[in-house]
Amino acid sequence: MSLEHFQAKPPLRVKKMRRDEEPEAFSENAFDGKSERLAILRQKIACADEIPFPRISIGGLDRMLRGGLRGGALHEIAPGGAGDGAAACGFALALAARFTAAAPAGRSAIVWIVEDFAAIEGGAPYGPGLALHGLDPATLILVHAASAKDALWAMEEALKCRGVAAVIGEIWSLEKIYDLTAARRLALAAQSGGGSALMLAAGMAGGADRLASCAHTRFEVSAHRGGAARGSPKGSPQNAAPPPGLPLPSLACWSIRIVKARGGEGGVSIALLWDHEEGCFRDAFPLHLIADAGDRPGHPADARARPRQSA
Amino acid sequence: MRARGLAKAPDAPLATIAKINGAQKLAALDARGAALGLRPGMNLPDARAMHPALVCADADPAAEAETLAHIADWCRRFTPLAALDAPDGIMLDVSGAAHLFGGEASLQADVEARLRAQGFFARAALASTPDAAFALARYGGEREGRILPATLDAAALARRLGDLPLAALGLDPATLKALAEAGLRRVSDILMRPRAPIAARCRPELYARLDGLLGLAKTPISPRFEAPAFMAERRFLDGIVRREDIEASILSLARDLSKLLARHGEGARRLEVSLFRVDGAVMRFEAGASRPLREPGVIARLFRERFEAASKANDGEAFDAGYGFDVIRLAALEVERRDEEEADCFDIGNRQGVQASLKAADLADLIDRLGARLGVRRVTRLAFHATHAPEFAVTAAPAAQYADKGHHIKPAAMARRAAFADEAGLLPARPIRLLPRPEPIEAIAGVPDGPPLRFRWRRVLHEVAAFEGPERIAPEWWRRDESALTRDYFRAEDTEGRRFWVFREGLFVSETARPRWFMHGLFA
Repeated sequence: MSLEHFQAKPPLRVKKMRRDEEPEAFSENAFDGKSERLAILRQKIACADEIPFPRISIGGLDRMLRGGLRGGALHEIAPGGAGDGAAACGFALALAARFTAAAPAGRSAIVWIVEDFAAIEGGAPYGPGLALHGLDPATLILVHAASAKDALWAMEEALKCRGVAAVIGEIWSLEKIYDLTAARRLALAAQSGGGSALMLAAGMAGGADRLASCAHTRFEVSAHRGGAARGSPKGSPQNAAPPPGLPLPSLACWSIRIVKARGGEGGVSIALLWDHEEGCFRDAFPLHLIADAGDRPGHPADARARPRQSA
Repeated sequence: MRARGLAKAPDAPLATIAKINGAQKLAALDARGAALGLRPGMNLPDARAMHPALVCADADPAAEAETLAHIADWCRRFTPLAALDAPDGIMLDVSGAAHLFGGEASLQADVEARLRAQGFFARAALASTPDAAFALARYGGEREGRILPATLDAAALARRLGDLPLAALGLDPATLKALAEAGLRRVSDILMRPRAPIAARCRPELYARLDGLLGLAKTPISPRFEAPAFMAERRFLDGIVRREDIEASILSLARDLSKLLARHGEGARRLEVSLFRVDGAVMRFEAGASRPLREPGVIARLFRERFEAASKANDGEAFDAGYGFDVIRLAALEVERRDEEEADCFDIGNRQGVQASLKAADLADLIDRLGARLGVRRVTRLAFHATHAPEFAVTAAPAAQYADKGHHIKPAAMARRAAFADEAGLLPARPIRLLPRPEPIEAIAGVPDGPPLRFRWRRVLHEVAAFEGPERIAPEWWRRDESALTRDYFRAEDTEGRRFWVFREGLFVSETARPRWFMHGLFA
C-alpha cells in the first residue's frame, strides 16, 4: 500500500543545511509520529475482516473455472473477431458489475480506463446504456488515457486502491507494450489491493492466443445470435410491427471461449446470456431444463465435487 | 531598468530607444550612460553627438513587461504578496517578513544583490506606504536613506520627505510642468502652502499621492497572486538540483504544512509548489485534491505525479534545474474545514462505517493522483441531463469535482432505467458505446419508415436478423437548430449476433426526399 510505504519509513531528511531555521523545526515531534502511527493502525483495521478474494459466478463457465471467477486477480478479455469489440466490452462490464455486487461494503467503485484511440474506434462509453446494462453510474469512474503506457500506469494505480472493486483497462495498442513484466505488475497490484483487473485487449481481435502473460484467466468473446425475446414491443407505433420472420433482439448474448484458466479447463467455448435486470449470467442453451430437477444442488461445481468425495 | 542583451561592446554605455512624436528618443539607460550625463527622453542624435560610442537597441515594451512580471514572480520568494508597478517597478508587501531576512536593511541589500547577480540594476526602498516606497526607490538617494522607519511621526516624516522632487509623487508630466511653472519643485513646497488653493487648481491625484506619501491615506497594492492560506518553505544555501532531493524536501514541507493545517482544523483542496531557481526563474506546480487533504505522504505523492507528467511533456525532464533551486515553497491555496475523525477509529461497533469512509478517502486520493498525472479533465464521472437527444443525455464531468457528491447523479440514471423497464427480456434501449459522431451507412429499408434490412458500415455488410423500433426522437424545438431532423432509431441485430443502434435521419416526404441512415452506437 502506497500510503504505508510512505509512512512506515523514517522521515526523509534533506542533507543540505538551511539558512535561518530553528534547530528543532526539522526534528519530529510527538504529534507527527502519533498521527502516522494512527493512520497505519486505521489502515490495518480497515482491511482486517475483509474477505480477500470473492469468487463470482458466470453461469455455465463456473464448472470450467472450478467454482467461479476469482477476484483480486488479472483476467484478460479479447474480442473474437473484428466486429466483436462491443461484445467483449459488454462482457467485461458484466464481470465488473458482478465483482461490484460481490465486493464487501465500501469497495464499490469501478474504474474504466479507455485509451483515446479505442474510444474513437469503438465509440465512447455511453452512460444511459451502461446504467441499463447493469452498472450503477454513480460508482463508475472513467479515465481517458492518451497512450497505452498511461493506461497501464493508471490501471496499476487504480488496482492498489482499496475502494475499487474492478478496474477495466481498454487498451487498443496493447500488443507492443504488454509483456510479462507489465502483466505481472498488474497481477501483483490486484492481489495486494484486492480489486479485480480486467484487461480488455480491444485492438487484438482474434488475438487471444497470441497473448502470453501470467493472467489468471483469459477469455475470447464473440457476439452470439441470441434467441427471440420474450417481451413485446410496447409503446412502439403500430405501423412498425415487425415483419414476419424478423424477431426482436433479445438479451446480450456472447459466445465465450476460455483460452486459459489457471487451475481450470481451457479451450472450452460456451454461449452465455447477460441478464441486465437481475445482474447475472444465464446459459443461452436451455440447460436449465436439466438443472431444474428438484434434487440437484444449485451449483454445478458442487454437484460434481460431492459424489466424488463420497465415492 | 533592463540592460541586457547586447554583448558586442561590453564597456560602452547602453540605451534603448523609442520613437516618440516622430523623433527617436532615449527610453532607458544603463548606469554607465547615466554617469556620462545622458538622460531618458533625450533625442538620439543629441546623445550620439555627446557620446558616439553609445550602443542602442529598440525598446520592446512587451518583452520588458514580461521580464518585469518574471522578476515579480521571483520576488515572491521574499513575500507572497508581490505586485507589479508598471512600467519599471515592483511593489512587495513585506509586513512581518523582514525579520526572516535579518531585518529591513539586510532584506534591502539582499534584494539588490540578488537582482544584480541576475544582471538587473535595482534600487530597493522600504517604507510604510506604497507611495513612500515608490518615491524613495526612485529619488531616495543613498541606500541607507531609502529605508523609512515606521516609527517616524508626522513632522519628522514631512522633514524627511520634504526634499524629494515632485516627480517622486508619480504624477503625469503635464501636472508636473504646470507645478514647476508655478515655482513648486519639491514636496515641501506644497506641504508648506495651504491645501485648498492648490487642490482647486490641480488634479485630485496630487493630494491623493501626497497623503499616501505621508501615510495619511492607505493606498492598496494589487498582488499578482493572492496570498495562500497556509504555506511552508525551505531555504538552501546551495541550490538543490536532483529531483529526489526536491521530492524529499516537498515531503518534509508537507509534514510542516499538515501540522499547520491540523492545528487550524483545515484540509487543503488546492496545493502549489513553487521552486525558486538560483538565477531567478520560478517554476510553479499546482495540484488539486478532491477531499480536504492533510496527509503528508499523499501530498508528496500528488506532486510526484505532477513532476512525472511534466517530465513526460518535456522529454524526460520535469523541470530545468539549472544551477539548482534555493527556495522551495509548498502552499495550500484553498482550504476546507476538516474535523478529526480519529475518535471513532477504534469504535468496534462502527467498524463498517469507518472502513467505508477510509475506502472513500482512498478512492478520492486515487482520483487526485490520476488527475495530477493525466490531467484533471481526463478522470471523469458521468453526469446525466434531462434531454432526449442521445448525444447530450450524458456528459463527462471531472471526477475531482464530483467525488463528494457522486451519488446525486444516481436518481436520474435510475429513472431512465425505470422508463425502459417494461421491455422485459429485451435488449436494453440504449447502447453501451456511442460513436463520437454518427457515421453514415448505406442501408436498404422499406419506405416510408420501415426498418433496415441490410446495411453496410465500415465496408462490412450486415444482414439484419432481428430488430426493434422505431424509437422516434424529434429535435428539441427550443434549441432552434433548423438543420436538425427527426430521427428514427432502431436496435438491429445482424445474423452474427452483433447489435447496433442505427437511425434514419429525416421523415420521408415531410422533412426530406431521401432519408439518410447513420450508425450511432453499439450494444453489448
